[in-house]
Amino acid sequence: MTEREPALARDSALDAVEAGPSAVSGAPVRLDEASASHPSVDALRARFGDAVRHHEVSAGDQHVVYVDAARNREILGWLRDDRAAHYDLLADVTAVDFGAGRPLQVVYQLWSMRHRRALRVKCELPLSHLVIDSVEPLWKTADWLEREVYDLFGVKFSGHPDLRRILMPENYAEGHPLRKDFPLRGRFSRAEQTRRALSQDPHDHYIPAELEIGRDPQAAPGAPRQHPEPPAKRPSTNRPLTRGK
Amino acid sequence: MGLNEGRLPGGGVTSRPGGLPLVGAGGPTFLTTKVDFVVNWARRNSLWPMPFGTACCAIEMMAAAASDFDVARFGMERMSFSPRQADVLICAGRVPYKLAPVLRRIWDQMPQPKWCVSMGACASSGGVFDAYSMVQGIDTIVPVDVYVPGCPPRPEALLYGLLMIQEKIREESLARHGEHRAEDPLRAGTPEATEEEVAGLTGPFGNSTRQNRVGGLVRTDRPDRPDDRQP
Repeated sequence: MTEREPALARDSALDAVEAGPSAVSGAPVRLDEASASHPSVDALRARFGDAVRHHEVSAGDQHVVYVDAARNREILGWLRDDRAAHYDLLADVTAVDFGAGRPLQVVYQLWSMRHRRALRVKCELPLSHLVIDSVEPLWKTADWLEREVYDLFGVKFSGHPDLRRILMPENYAEGHPLRKDFPLRGRFSRAEQTRRALSQDPHDHYIPAELEIGRDPQAAPGAPRQHPEPPAKRPSTNRPLTRGK
Repeated sequence: MGLNEGRLPGGGVTSRPGGLPLVGAGGPTFLTTKVDFVVNWARRNSLWPMPFGTACCAIEMMAAAASDFDVARFGMERMSFSPRQADVLICAGRVPYKLAPVLRRIWDQMPQPKWCVSMGACASSGGVFDAYSMVQGIDTIVPVDVYVPGCPPRPEALLYGLLMIQEKIREESLARHGEHRAEDPLRAGTPEATEEEVAGLTGPFGNSTRQNRVGGLVRTDRPDRPDDRQP
């Protein structure tokens, strides 16, 4: 297979998938300030200087600005509060792993409802140190979005109030599935995955008050709730896989 | 289909002509065959499905329940959205591991007699989702009576699967009740298939991901789609 590679090299449309954006000709163009500018990026450069790494335009009009990961909360907080920027809506928090040891990108998609303007902010994290400040204090919507990034990529958001898995089962122990070094079928055998799936027990991961949420639709919202004693733990289903009889 | 014909729609032949007595040592008696006939007639014509729809198959299942195809013609008068009142579990769509205990608990909550239809490729085998998150066939979780192939199957296919359930009910006998309906309460909440069965069902069929389970990435260089399948 290795010797056939040069033949495949140029024409494969999958090159872009493998190599990531910056190695592909024609895809996002790096811009200097003269050719195209975004008012918020100019303001960021003026205020934060070197913390703004570089700026590019993707898909025609989507401005992407790379900032220093260590100062993400300061910069995003300024983008939210500054009257000229005023990015009051955090539309999405996600991450990209390009594989091949390249740094993992944490992506913040911002929207300013006042100025009707979008800005994408990216922070690059080395795979050896996936820690970044949480922006949950700035936008409450980041709570679940950052939990999702933690669950699927393993990025630790310091300062997050409740950093737990959100999509994968609570007892999932195979790692973070969207990382490029994660095998597609998971790390455990199918039998072990099936056994673990059926031995999920919500009582292991939630306090009784959380399990009561939504159980009594007649109760007035906000009314103090009488929590019953936690139910006696049912016999564990964590038995070895054997047929009965 | 005549009572004495003994042929099943799938091409099989039944050993016991429907409703007619077989007299012999160890065989069902005149009384039990007559009671069987009445009980099975009542059961197969009043099946209530428990819809467990998780994906596009559920759209076809809804179409089967709507007026064009009208599953009520066959006695499935309504979808029973409560497992306690249901007879047939129709699992329509892909089931991730996080949903597996829910599926198993719904199955355990259904009273006997009960049957299960696995509708579509994903419910039957995992389909194209040979991935970390997906149950590779719900028969590892619950016992399945009828598999309906398709992606998704047409409503006619689901109706045919339900008619096969009806034929299966026709073959049941109170005299062999334990054989058909035995259920070990201690196995509630546990996987249906043994570890060896799961391993056999989910062996590597070859996917083009350049990854195996042991070492993670097999190759990190350029993809070579036709040849990159791992044994």
